[in-house]
Amino acid sequence: MASDSSPVNTHGGPSTPDDSTSSPIGNTYSSPGDNTRRKRGRRSSATSTPVAPSNRRFTTPDATPTPSSTNSRRGRRRASSTTPSGAAAATPSYASDVPPSSEGGEGDDADEAPPMYVWGTNISVQDVNAAILRFLRNFREDPSQTEGKYMRAIHHVIEMEGDSLDVDAHDVFDYDNDLYTKMVRFPLEVLAIFDIVLMDMVSRINPLFEKHIQARIFNLKSSTSMRNLNPADIEKMVSLKGMVIRCSAIIPEIREAIFRCLVCGYYSDPIVVDRGRINEPTICGKQECLARNSMTLVHNRCRFADKQIVRVQETPDEIPEGGTPHTVSLLMHDKLVDAGKPGDRVEVTGIYRAMSVRIGSTQRTVKSLFKTYIDCLHLKKTDKSRMNAEDPMEIENGVVGNDDSLGYEEKVEKLKELSKQPDIYERLTRSLAPNIWELDDVKKGLLCQLFGGNALTLPSGASFRGDINILLVGDPGTSKSQLLQYIHKLSPRGIYTSGRGSSAVGLTAYVAKDPETGETVLESGALVLSDRGICCIDEFDKMSDSARSMLHEVMEQQTVSIAKAGIIASLNARTSVLACANPIGSRYNPRLSVIDNIHLPPTLLSRFDLIYLILDKADEQMDRRLAKHIVALHFENPENSEQEVIDLPTLTAYLSYARKHIHPQLSDEAAEELTRGYVEMRRRGNFPGSSKKVITATPRQLESLIRLSEGLARIRFSERVEKRDVMEAIRLLEVALQQSATDHSTGTIDMDLITTGVSASERMRRENFVSTTRNIIMEKLQLGGPSTRMLELLEELKKQSSGGEVHLADLRNALATLATEGLVSVHGDAVKRI
Amino acid sequence: MVGLPYDCLTNPLGAVRLTFEKAVASGSDPATFDGKDWGATDLFSQFLFDDGGLSKVPFLNPSTMTWVQPNTLVRFRGMIQDMLGNEFYVGAYKEGETWRTNKFADLSQFPMATGSSPDMRVWERRLLYCVPVPGQNSWIEPSSGALLNPCAISSSPQREKRQRDNDLAMDDVDMQVTDEEVHDSTSNKKMREDGIASGSSNSGSTPTEGVGSATSVLPNFDTTSFPCLVKIYDSPDSDLKLNDVFEFIGVFTFDPEFPVDKNDNKDLESSFCDDTLVQMPPSKVPRLHCLVHRKLTAQDFISGPLTFELKSQLVKGIREALVGHLTTVLGNDGVAANFMLLHLLSKVHARADSIAVGKLSLNLTCFTKETLSIFGHRLNFALKNLLPFTHYVPLTVDYLNKVSLAPRKDYQTNRLVSGILQLAEGSHLTIDETQLQAGTLNSTGVDNARVLKSLLELQKVEYDFTYYKMDIPADTQLLVLSEGKSNILPADLVLPFRPLSLDAAQDVETEVLRSWRWYLATMRSLSHSIEQEMQKVVEDDLVAARQADRSLSSQDFSRLLTMGRLISLSFGETSLTLEHWQMAKELERLRKERLQGSS
Repeated sequence: MASDSSPVNTHGGPSTPDDSTSSPIGNTYSSPGDNTRRKRGRRSSATSTPVAPSNRRFTTPDATPTPSSTNSRRGRRRASSTTPSGAAAATPSYASDVPPSSEGGEGDDADEAPPMYVWGTNISVQDVNAAILRFLRNFREDPSQTEGKYMRAIHHVIEMEGDSLDVDAHDVFDYDNDLYTKMVRFPLEVLAIFDIVLMDMVSRINPLFEKHIQARIFNLKSSTSMRNLNPADIEKMVSLKGMVIRCSAIIPEIREAIFRCLVCGYYSDPIVVDRGRINEPTICGKQECLARNSMTLVHNRCRFADKQIVRVQETPDEIPEGGTPHTVSLLMHDKLVDAGKPGDRVEVTGIYRAMSVRIGSTQRTVKSLFKTYIDCLHLKKTDKSRMNAEDPMEIENGVVGNDDSLGYEEKVEKLKELSKQPDIYERLTRSLAPNIWELDDVKKGLLCQLFGGNALTLPSGASFRGDINILLVGDPGTSKSQLLQYIHKLSPRGIYTSGRGSSAVGLTAYVAKDPETGETVLESGALVLSDRGICCIDEFDKMSDSARSMLHEVMEQQTVSIAKAGIIASLNARTSVLACANPIGSRYNPRLSVIDNIHLPPTLLSRFDLIYLILDKADEQMDRRLAKHIVALHFENPENSEQEVIDLPTLTAYLSYARKHIHPQLSDEAAEELTRGYVEMRRRGNFPGSSKKVITATPRQLESLIRLSEGLARIRFSERVEKRDVMEAIRLLEVALQQSATDHSTGTIDMDLITTGVSASERMRRENFVSTTRNIIMEKLQLGGPSTRMLELLEELKKQSSGGEVHLADLRNALATLATEGLVSVHGDAVKRI
Repeated sequence: MVGLPYDCLTNPLGAVRLTFEKAVASGSDPATFDGKDWGATDLFSQFLFDDGGLSKVPFLNPSTMTWVQPNTLVRFRGMIQDMLGNEFYVGAYKEGETWRTNKFADLSQFPMATGSSPDMRVWERRLLYCVPVPGQNSWIEPSSGALLNPCAISSSPQREKRQRDNDLAMDDVDMQVTDEEVHDSTSNKKMREDGIASGSSNSGSTPTEGVGSATSVLPNFDTTSFPCLVKIYDSPDSDLKLNDVFEFIGVFTFDPEFPVDKNDNKDLESSFCDDTLVQMPPSKVPRLHCLVHRKLTAQDFISGPLTFELKSQLVKGIREALVGHLTTVLGNDGVAANFMLLHLLSKVHARADSIAVGKLSLNLTCFTKETLSIFGHRLNFALKNLLPFTHYVPLTVDYLNKVSLAPRKDYQTNRLVSGILQLAEGSHLTIDETQLQAGTLNSTGVDNARVLKSLLELQKVEYDFTYYKMDIPADTQLLVLSEGKSNILPADLVLPFRPLSLDAAQDVETEVLRSWRWYLATMRSLSHSIEQEMQKVVEDDLVAARQADRSLSSQDFSRLLTMGRLISLSFGETSLTLEHWQMAKELERLRKERLQGSS
């Protein structure tokens, strides 16, 4: 049969049974002539050839290959200390359960000649052995270290009496590219040698150490998608990500059996699994007894190993459109058993294997199908979802999260690249809820909220929140709720609730009796659950007052304090609040002041950093663009008309990275600008007689400005808050409340001047228009001279503006602006310069 | 047969073998065939489409299962209900010095070396679990009489008799199959000899003894659902998507006497893999090794030759007749009939972000118990006759609480458990809300209501994968019948239903029905555009409308545009004209009037 023809000696002689302290390695490289030391009695066929080391670890001689036998790992290794290790392994049908690798045919050149090759490959055992030894001895992460990383690790394992050594494949790659390649392509063989080298080293360091240490490789250079596993990957080391969906019960797999004679009570020697079975002795081994069929298995003296079969499924993001998730089975042994629970996201490194299945009981049909599975070497739980992706606790505790996921560096590079784009701020704004039309300034505010400012705790104990709270007040049908939903989906952790259905306890925390134990337990409410996230509250105005008052504490102190039913507690609720509400009377009433329209207690209002008034104003331009957009949506290929936006996963990654790694500090310049801006705002608030009608700037606003500018700096991945950030923050704050459009004497908004929802380009266009109009007026009209009709001006403008259309409405707007500047006065249709 | 050394119809594997041998003989290395075709598919494509062989290929369905022979060419029309991943098999191997292939077959035709050898190539194929399209109406059933069945020339009474009397029929079948036997005899013999030689073969259950199988099929077989496990070769992932309707033409294998595996390690093996073999033994689910597959459109389901042309006059005629018919069905409510026509023509033609463009769900309100009993039934019947796939869901609290509408993944069996909302593209779903009484929804009910709502609003169904949900895009026409405006099911169009007469609709001739079906299927698939000038008119109209009424939202605009588009489509026009746009606005005005009148 196949393997018979290609005998290879990788480890010629197994150790003798009593050679317990020195592991089988001692003999591994002895010459083939060593064979004489074999206990021939046990083996029926003395002709069996020595076998590649690989067999010791992964394959077993199994006529009917089953998963149970293909990975023997520790059990087999243990056995090897007492029995000839090569014994069972030597089997002619070695390859029967393994589809041959394409190199299969090359085995013949391995022969008996001294450079020993792994069967079927051109890997020289000595070379690999030496390479591994070199790697383990010499690899250092940092040249200044005196002892190699893995030497330390080995010592550590010995101290801890562990049984495995985690080896980072990246280290292997960095140290010895060639070894890495070999390891990935021929994992069975190379890992077996790896284990041998390890055992050798261990026994040299501590000859009394009996356990066998295995190398567990993880963190391969490239990871495969489950979908792309193909026949070429069989017998290769692969790494893939997925989600555990099912774990089998733990299967005890017998490794060594001990039998007892029912007649004389004689205990047999341990019998090792051979080809997946235990051969029950038919005759009692005791010379005096020799009773037939008297042997019975003694369960509690047998040795078992744990085994588990785990199914892993593709994560949702890897599934292409119109597909269902693929699954793959994992075979876990010993320590890996129960390492993952259903629902865990894991990264698995293992060897992709296939075994033939029978379709029928007829021998002839056996091998036309294969079942595949992954022999698991290493399993790492990855972040469960983006929720935990950025657990800030890690930073606080100085524990750097496991960022070594594959391609992480690359990703970060890409994000950094992205952050260097000059228009990153605009691009992010565009990418935020791209299907919501306009509302650019609101989106900018929301971006700031997503990125957040820096939380600060002074040594004195005072703490300043870094979370930005936003309130959207607006007319119905201005897609506030859609924005909320979008942010809820995007934010790292978030709860979406509607004000109407939320009670005070539902938002904070409540005490409940556990139905089983009868104890009182504390159940977290929405705000507590969205700690470190964004709590989105829709229909804020329809919330009961008592529920709303609960928010006071949360929004400034960022805690929820409870004192009821014998529980007094203060829970963290470091959450940003994004609320939206309708103005009083559902629609914004331009005759009332802003405050009167919003109609929320000022105590609460002042806790919101940004209060956006989203007003639906009859604006032909905007309507036209909306109409154009919808027409295009219906009649053109929407993919073509789409703007260049950043896709959601990138956006999320960008966000997480910024939140985790960027902590901007105020520059002196920025600080100055802040002071100036704040003073300016204060001054405006002190407008005589207006104190009740406009929102006055308080120190809270100053804090808001700081947070916003920090957020803006974060957007750019900048560690310094610069002047332009502060200026943008001030602008956002002003735009939000339509302050530029507010008549400070009455507190009402001049509806024609509303700028929220007007995109930057549109704003630019209007500004240009205003300046053109101003120029014309300066040219044509005399100071205090006769008035001009609006239509005449329009004619003039049409002459000057090349190409672009000019509407009367635009002119009216421009004139209104100019009127507030005090340049002209407009009476009906007549324009007069003053 | 026409000088060919093989018969694609009755011995497709022979043809595969021959092309394989030819390819090997011409010097190609079988190792390079992985994931590629060596000419077999081309041969079959030519046979089926160029030489008109397609019509000779029998459909696989419960009635033909009785006589279709294993290892012959069949076709199966169905929806991809689940994807079972990839399967590795020995694609090519050496028997002695000759290369053999296992492609398109379950079992190897020639003995393989028991040990492994380097001359064994492992290839992969995809497994798709297909079912007949849910909600398929009876008029679609391909008439088996139209098929040229090489075996059963016998008329149907005889076939029934055969089922009753297996023993007698055996001979009958045997005789008819001799044709195949002759072709296969050499290989058959060879296999048998070999089987005996190796001494391990259980001659009683040689799988290729398919002859007897045909008769013993039915007892084992579940005829209500007729699933088929389709094995796809060499096709990119993106070609075949979940819920797509396909016609698969390939080699049929079915083994009703599949021996139960008495392997000692069975428990281990089955715990290892969800084994498709364990859950879907070949004796329950037929296999089809797909040679050629093509996506089906609604037009493909209209049997018989299509004599219609896309002439505007003809289309107009059909349109008028159809509107007339719908008007009668809807008790002389012309407005409702017009909207119904638009609704039946709607389809999702693009998706931008989360918006499904082109959907037009209709909510007919003002139904009472009496009107529903008359018109509900009538409407349902009419829809069944017009559309290929229809469903009718009577919504009650109890129903919502009990069924699971969305499909979910069962990890015990590793299968996707179909729900009512796992529908093929272009299915029609009528939801009867009139029977909904006040009651409490449990969590399932709430979930179901949410799923329905997202289907209506976004044309997406959330499939439940336990640890996460996945939105699968859908394209379903939804018709809601309710007393008042449905709140849990917000449809695009809400129209109070005003029947004027109770006259029953007359019977419609089959030929006329066929023309209507053709009309609906074809008009629906037309592409549509808008001229520059028209675009301007539309924009202006929209802007003016919004200036006049601030409450108009983008949804209203979308609906109006969809209606305009569908009206032009209903006339067979591919670009929007002013006339049709005016019609859309007029219809919308009529609807608004009614809404105000009813409230």
